[in-house]
Order: sequence, then C-alpha cells, then structure tokens
Amino acid sequence: MTGIASYLVFFVTLASIFAVVTLGLNLQWGFSGQFNAGVVGFMAVGAYVYAFLTAPLQHGQVGGLHWPIAPAMIASVLATALVALVIGRLTIRLRTDYLALATFGIAAAIHQLALNLEDITGGGRGITSIAKPFQGLGPEGFALAFGALALGLLAACHLLLQRLVRSPWGRSLRAIREDEIAAAALGKDVDRLRLTAFVLGAAPMGLAGALYAAFIGYVSPYDFTAIVTFQIWAMLIVGGSGNNRGAVLGAFVVWALWSMSGIAVVHLLPTRLQVQGGAVQAILIGALLIIMLVFRSRGMIGESLHSSPVLQDETAAGRS
Amino acid sequence: MIAQLVVDGLLTGAVIALGAIGVTLGLAILRFANFGYAEFATVGGYGALAAVLAYGGTGAPLGPFTFGGFMAVALAAGLAAAGLMALIGDWAVFRPLRRRGAGPLVLIFASFGLALVARNLVLLAFGPQPEYYSREIQIAVLLGGVRVMPDQVLVLAVAGLALAALVWLLRRTRIGLAMRAVAENPALAQACAIDPEAAIRATWLVTGALGALAGTLYGLTVQLRPEMGANLLLPLFTAAVLGGVGSVPGAVIGGLLVGVAENLSVLVLPTSYKAIIPFLIMLACFLLRPKGLFGR
Amino acid sequence: MTKRLLIALVGALPLLAFGGEARAQAACPHKLGAVIPLTGPQGPIGKPIADTAQLAIEHVNAAGGVKGCPIELVLRDDTGQPTLGVDAARYLVDVQKTPAIVGVVGSGIALAIVSSVTTAAKVPMVSCCAVTPTLTKMAEDGKTEGYFFRTIPTSRVFAVAHAVATTDRGYKNPAVIYVNNDFGSTLLRDLEKAIAALGGKIAGAVPYNENQPSYRTEVNQALALKGDALILIAFSQDGATIGREWISLGGTQNLVLHNTLRSQDFINAVGARFLGKAAGIDNAQVAGPSVDAFNAAFKAKFNRDPVGPGLHTVYDSAAVTALAMQQARALDGTAIRDALRLVQDAAGEVVMPGAEGLKKGLDAIKAGRKVRYVGATGPFGFDKNGDVSGPALVWKIDDGKLATDKVIDLEQMAALFRRIGY
Repeated sequence: MTGIASYLVFFVTLASIFAVVTLGLNLQWGFSGQFNAGVVGFMAVGAYVYAFLTAPLQHGQVGGLHWPIAPAMIASVLATALVALVIGRLTIRLRTDYLALATFGIAAAIHQLALNLEDITGGGRGITSIAKPFQGLGPEGFALAFGALALGLLAACHLLLQRLVRSPWGRSLRAIREDEIAAAALGKDVDRLRLTAFVLGAAPMGLAGALYAAFIGYVSPYDFTAIVTFQIWAMLIVGGSGNNRGAVLGAFVVWALWSMSGIAVVHLLPTRLQVQGGAVQAILIGALLIIMLVFRSRGMIGESLHSSPVLQDETAAGRS
Repeated sequence: MIAQLVVDGLLTGAVIALGAIGVTLGLAILRFANFGYAEFATVGGYGALAAVLAYGGTGAPLGPFTFGGFMAVALAAGLAAAGLMALIGDWAVFRPLRRRGAGPLVLIFASFGLALVARNLVLLAFGPQPEYYSREIQIAVLLGGVRVMPDQVLVLAVAGLALAALVWLLRRTRIGLAMRAVAENPALAQACAIDPEAAIRATWLVTGALGALAGTLYGLTVQLRPEMGANLLLPLFTAAVLGGVGSVPGAVIGGLLVGVAENLSVLVLPTSYKAIIPFLIMLACFLLRPKGLFGR
Repeated sequence: MTKRLLIALVGALPLLAFGGEARAQAACPHKLGAVIPLTGPQGPIGKPIADTAQLAIEHVNAAGGVKGCPIELVLRDDTGQPTLGVDAARYLVDVQKTPAIVGVVGSGIALAIVSSVTTAAKVPMVSCCAVTPTLTKMAEDGKTEGYFFRTIPTSRVFAVAHAVATTDRGYKNPAVIYVNNDFGSTLLRDLEKAIAALGGKIAGAVPYNENQPSYRTEVNQALALKGDALILIAFSQDGATIGREWISLGGTQNLVLHNTLRSQDFINAVGARFLGKAAGIDNAQVAGPSVDAFNAAFKAKFNRDPVGPGLHTVYDSAAVTALAMQQARALDGTAIRDALRLVQDAAGEVVMPGAEGLKKGLDAIKAGRKVRYVGATGPFGFDKNGDVSGPALVWKIDDGKLATDKVIDLEQMAALFRRIGY
C-alpha cells in the first residue's frame, strides 16, 4: 500500500467506529428524542469489558481470561446494553435537559471509576496487549482486514437500524418524540418504547468501544473524556439527526475535519506558530459548529418526510 | 476535622452558589441548559486579570487581604468582559436560533461550541499556565479550631452582597419583574406588553455577571486557568438542579450543600472519588425530588 | 451556500493534507515526526517541550543536516487525547513517511501509539517523557520489537531520588500527595519501597485528581496525617494550587517536590519565602560540559534557563535520533532503530549538544568513525528494553532561585537499586 492509501484505510477504520456510535446516538436522539450527553461512558464500558476479557494477566489482577475475540465482543455489547438498561430505568422520565445532565454526569462517573478501580481497569495505567484480530495477516493485512470488519459492522448496524426505524416500532418511536401525550393516548407504552430505544442505541456504542480497544490494543481512562461525546454529537448534528445515512456521513466528515484541521495547522502555520495551532484548531471547529447550527440546523442530510426534530422540539422542552 | 471540612465546604460552596444562581436563572428564563455557562467564569476571571496586568498589580495589600484596592476596578472589568461576551453570544448565535424556533438541543449544542471558542480564545491570549491576581500567600488564622483565610471570608461576604443585590433587582425593578414574568410564561408576559427580548438580554447580562463574579472570586482564592470553567460545570449544574430550577435561594443552598457534601465525602470515600460526588447528588435529586429542594 | 462552502472545505482539506507527500518523496528535507500535546491539560508542559525539540533540529540543521539534507520536524498536537495521538502518528508514518517519531509526553498516548502504530510500522519512537514501567514490561514481553526508546529514566529513578532527598534531610515520616494516574500511582508504590529501605516510613498518601477546582480537602487530609514532611508528586498547575493551599493551611515547609515542579513558575506561584527548606528531585543533568552546552544554547535561544520537565530529555530524543539517522545506512525505521544503539558506542568520540557539538558528531559518522552521544541529560545509554537508567539530582531553592543540591550518579543509583531490591 502507498502511504496515502494506508492512511486512508486507517481513517476509514476510525471513522467507521465513530459512525457506529453516531448511529446508536441517532436512535436515542434522532428517533426517540432522548438527549444522551454521556455517549463516551457507554463506549468505555464496551472497551473495558472487551479489554478485561481478552488481555493477558497484568498489574497483578487485571485480565488473564483470554477469551476469544468474537465472544468477548458480543459480551461487551451485552454488558453495555445491561448498563444502559440500569441507567435508562433510573433516568427515563427525566425531561430532555435533565437527561442530558444526568448522562453527562454518568460519563464523568464512569471515567472516575476507570481511573480508580485499579483491580478491574488497571487505573491510570490502563490495559495493554488487548487481543487484536487478524494478527496472522501481518501489519498491512491487519489494517485492511480490520478496516473491512469495521465497515462491515457499520453496514450491518446501518441495515439493522434502518429496518428498525422503518418498522411500526420505529414509527411509534417517532410518534412519541413528536407528541408523547398523543402517543400515549393511542395506547403506546411510552416508557417501555423509550427505554428499548435507549438500550438499543447504547449497544452500538459498546460495540464501537470494543472495536476501538481491539484496533488500538490499549485502553486507558484518557481515551474516554467528555470531548469524545462532543465529537460524536458534532457528527450527528452536522450529518443530520433523524437520518441514519446522515449520521454516517456526519461521522466521516467531522472526523475528517477534526484530524485534518490538525494537518492543515502543520502545513499552513509557520513552525514557530505551530505551538498555538491546537487552540486555533479548536476555535475553528467550535465556530464551524455554530455556523452549521445557525445556518443549516438540519445537518447535511436532514430527516426525510418529516422536518427535523430539532426544529420542532418546543413540545419536548415543555414537558417535564 | 469535621468542623474544618464543613467550613471549607461552605467557602468553596459560596463560589459554586454564585455560579449556580446564574445557571438557575438561565434554565428558567432562557429555557435551555447552557453548557457554555461556566466560560463566563473563565472570561470574567481573565478579564479582571487583564486589568490587573495592565495596571501592574492590584495595588498595596489592604489590611489582612492579599490584594489592593485596584481589585475592585479589575472585578468591574471582568464583569464587563463577561457581560459583553453574553450579549455578543446572544446577538450572534442564540437570538438567530430563537427566531427560527430552534429547540433546546440546538441551543445546548451551540453553547458547547461557543464554550470551545471562548475557552481557546482565552488560551490563545493568556497562555496555558496558571495565573494569580496576587502572588501573596495568606497564612490561615485559627478561628475556634478551624483554619480560615481572610480572603475567603471576604469572598463569602461579597457573595452575600451580590445575592442581596440580585434579590433587589428581581423583586424591586421593572426589568427584574419582566425577567420573572418571562420565566413564568413568555406568551402571557408578551401579552402584558413585556418585551421578552429585553428580558432575555437582561438575563444574559445578569447571569454573565454572576458567572464572572464567581470566576474572579475563584481566581482570588484558588487560581486562574483556561479550563477552570469547564471543571466547574458539573458542580454548578448540580447546585442549580438541587436547589430547584428558577429558585435563587435554592441555588445558593444547593451550592453550599454541594460544597459541603464534596468535602465531607472524604470521611467515607477515598479522596480520589470526590469528583463523582456532585453527580451522585444530582442523580439522587432527579430520582427523589426532580423539582429540587425549592422548585415549584 | 453554506453547504457548498462546507463541501469545498471538506474537499480542500485532503489536498492540503496530502500535498505534503510529493515533498515527502523529494530528496530534501528529511522529515522527522513529533507528537507533543500543545493544548489541553498537558499543554503547559508540552509547549516548551515542542520549542526545545525545534531547537535541537535547528542545531542539527546548522551543523549541516543529515545525509546532506536539513531535517524538517513535522510536529502534531495530540491535545492529550489518545485517539488524536494515534491519528497523528499514523499520519506521520503513512503520509509524511517520517522514519522515526520523537516527543510523546503522556504515557497513555505513548502506549496507544506503540500498541497500534509504530511497532507494526517498524518505526522507532524515541519518547522524551513517558515514564510508565508498563512500556518496560511490554519490551520484555517482546511487544515493542525494539522500536521503543526513551531518554527519560523510568519512574523508579524518581522514586529513589525522592527517597534520598527525604531521608537525607532527616525526615522519617513524610506524608505524600500524589497525582492519581498511571505515573503517580506507580511512583507511589516504588517510593514506599525505597523510603522503607532507606530507614523511613510513609505516614500516608493522599491521591488527587487532576483539574479539580480546589484541593483543600486533599490538603486537609494530608495535614491530618501529621507527617514531618510532604512529598508532593503533582503536575505544574495543580502542584502550584496544592502547594499554596498547603502553606496557607499551616502545613510544614519541609517539602520534597517532584521534577514537574522544578520551575520558576512554581516558585513564583507559591512564594520563595516559603520554600527556603524545600527540596526537589529531577532526573540526570549531572553537571558537566554536555549539560552546560545545552543549557547555554537554550538560554541563548529563549533567554531563560532551561528549567521544567522534559526539556533536556526532548533535546536528547531529537538529537540522538538525528545522529542515528546519519548513522543508519538508509532512512528506514529498522536501520534507525539499530543505529540508535550505534551512536552510543562506549569507545566512540564524544558528541555533545549544540550546533558545534552535533556538527562534530555528524561529520565523524560521515567519515565512518564511531561516536558516543553524551546529551543534555549527561551520559546515558539505552538498555535492552530501550530504557535509560539515568543519574538523578536533588535541587533546592536558594534566594528564590533553583540550585543543585546533590547529584546521585549512575553508580550510586545502581547501588541504591540493589539496596532497595528493585
């Protein structure tokens, strides 16, 4: 592979992993109006469960279970769903901005637990030597095969979610999002539907976390800070919430902007100013998001058939 | 030990309380959770620092305090900086969004973006190193077995004065009445010839000033750094929610409670878990009393 | 309109990004990658480190460059986020074709890059600042394949230095406040052992989390331990806050400070008059002509003394890599990996920091003679795991200025390691 091709494969792999998360968030927010501001917490659960199950024994206590890759990945998805179920039961009745605050706090708490539960997570040292698939193929083979795996899982998630939201269940979900009381009056079990959407949306986040751990081979609490949640939300908003294709497109576009604006800093700023580059980069990204929200809040591809939920959310704000 | 922890908690809590008042007013009147709110503290704190740097210090130390009389001018500069930022933010971002009927998510998200911009502008202008208004260190005095510092007592007093001023503004002035009316019911307020836009602008100004005051007092007793606002966010929101959205006394009591609870938690939990305490309080509050202690 | 603008922007960025590749394949300049946090929580440490790395490259270029070409340092900001660190490393290796990567401050970021990029791509990483022993473990297990090096000693050297500084001053029962992360918790474990071996006992240890609004609780907890001294293992910003609160609340002025606090900023923040009895530790910088050469060059460039974490080590990481690039038969990762050990030849001509010193070395290598790089941190050599076991020093504060109190040289360090039983 030439350098550019190799970097592009890497880029597509990471962007696909982010896109899987964004799809999960789209089910939670785009289709059922639940504001999860703790996305990164669910990714962390998936990543740590996968790491714990597959890594060799280290720091005295952590790991040593040597699970095969596929079952470990499934277990991490199930574990994330379970955590989401517990959290969802606690928070399901909260109004939009309270749910945001609660989930924001949950992610902060999960970060602290990762940092402090040394016997399970290795604390700040993290977990190393996590099992990677395709190790027999050499570095290039691994990169290509993992890229294909990530893309494949992304496609599978997309297909599954697409079927789900087009089903009667998906329509009920949107009905609740638009008008909860009316939906309840029509006999929909509002809480149950929302909880199911919350859990089903968290599962891909756990999958993406496990994929990330398997791709990098190392996890630490520093992988799961609030800025990642912000990045995922940026992906959904830029792409267009309420549209699965938009979510995927947003993930690719925003991750491209995020990583390539760093590259642009390298090329555009003189060496002596490059140490200021990071701040300039953050300012540009923040400004771009605001511009996007002010001038095109539906995102690049908005929700089809309906106008975007974010434009008609006064009802959601009013309920409590 | 316990008395010391409680007093320390009250002193930290006073700064949280000031910020929490801003958060609670914002939640009630602007009707969205402003995740960029804590940046007012950063901008205000650094605004005051800019004045101090320009003047070349805070002047000769006053009495037992670490700073001189110029600090009052610097504080005014900080309030002005944050007020300006609040008005510009509203004019350039939030008002256009409101006009288009954007929902709370869009507003929250825009506030995230604005926070990112503000924080990094501060970083660009002042650099990442911690800053202080005055390099003097105070040695704590023992008051009945409890160590306190004169600066911190002053912070408590200033917080109390600001609270009194705010209550006066809300209860006794036309614009305060308008703000409360818009909080209750924007449509009805408009029908009563209250201009909601004016009330919203006033809210931005007042909440921005409160944030700046909290930031400056924080800088006075701890230190200034570009991420300070971001690190205060969770305690501020917890205090506001605990007190009950829209309730000024609630936010004050919420702030003090969060400060005390954080400090007391070390009696039962390792200190490394202290950062989770605000969140646990928030969750407990959502589950047991979602309206908060003083919410209607 | 905005949509078109956005599409144009997204379209233009790859061009920008990959415009570099044409140049990468051209003969000059040769590229060297660097991943350093310039913003985020580690930004205050990272910025001067990046400046110093640039200084080393300036010296190399003033000395005529490597293999007839100047070196271009391609610097990427990891912002402290491992994902971006990995992305940066991947970009440097794949697109910029840098045959080695220097810098890399955070242990978490170094581990992520070693685990997923550099080892697989057979590109050596010469870290300036990652102290985690986990990397030693990975090297022993064969997971780094020899592609990981660092110019900073592992945390055990720091633990020994702390123990020496503490017991030398007759403190028997110190309290510890340490940063609750990889670096802090590992160091604490080593420190307990070291102090016990030297005849003291830690009164207790209080962890703190980075970036908290206030550290009064932690400081009060540590005060309650009633130690006869305080060992403070903290990063610069939090360290200043904790130091100020400790003094304010009447804590003892018998302080033993970590190397991250060895800066004038810290002294200014806490106040020199409270630090008369304070001591601190740092790695290496044994006195000597090579250290002086670096210090003088740094001062000439930045008009201040090179005090602060990572400055000496990053200079060495960039300079030794440049010498290895000259030494390697080709500019590929494996050749440079092997050459990194060749430029440390015990029998070689001594090469020192600064444009002149490096010119001597680069010319000698060109002429086929053996060299031995003695760096800004003094003499050092990579062991089989790519680690350096360095000397350490104890510093103190005289009249508000940093001064060296005592040097623990390599032999003493080795003896102490045996005594402690590491």
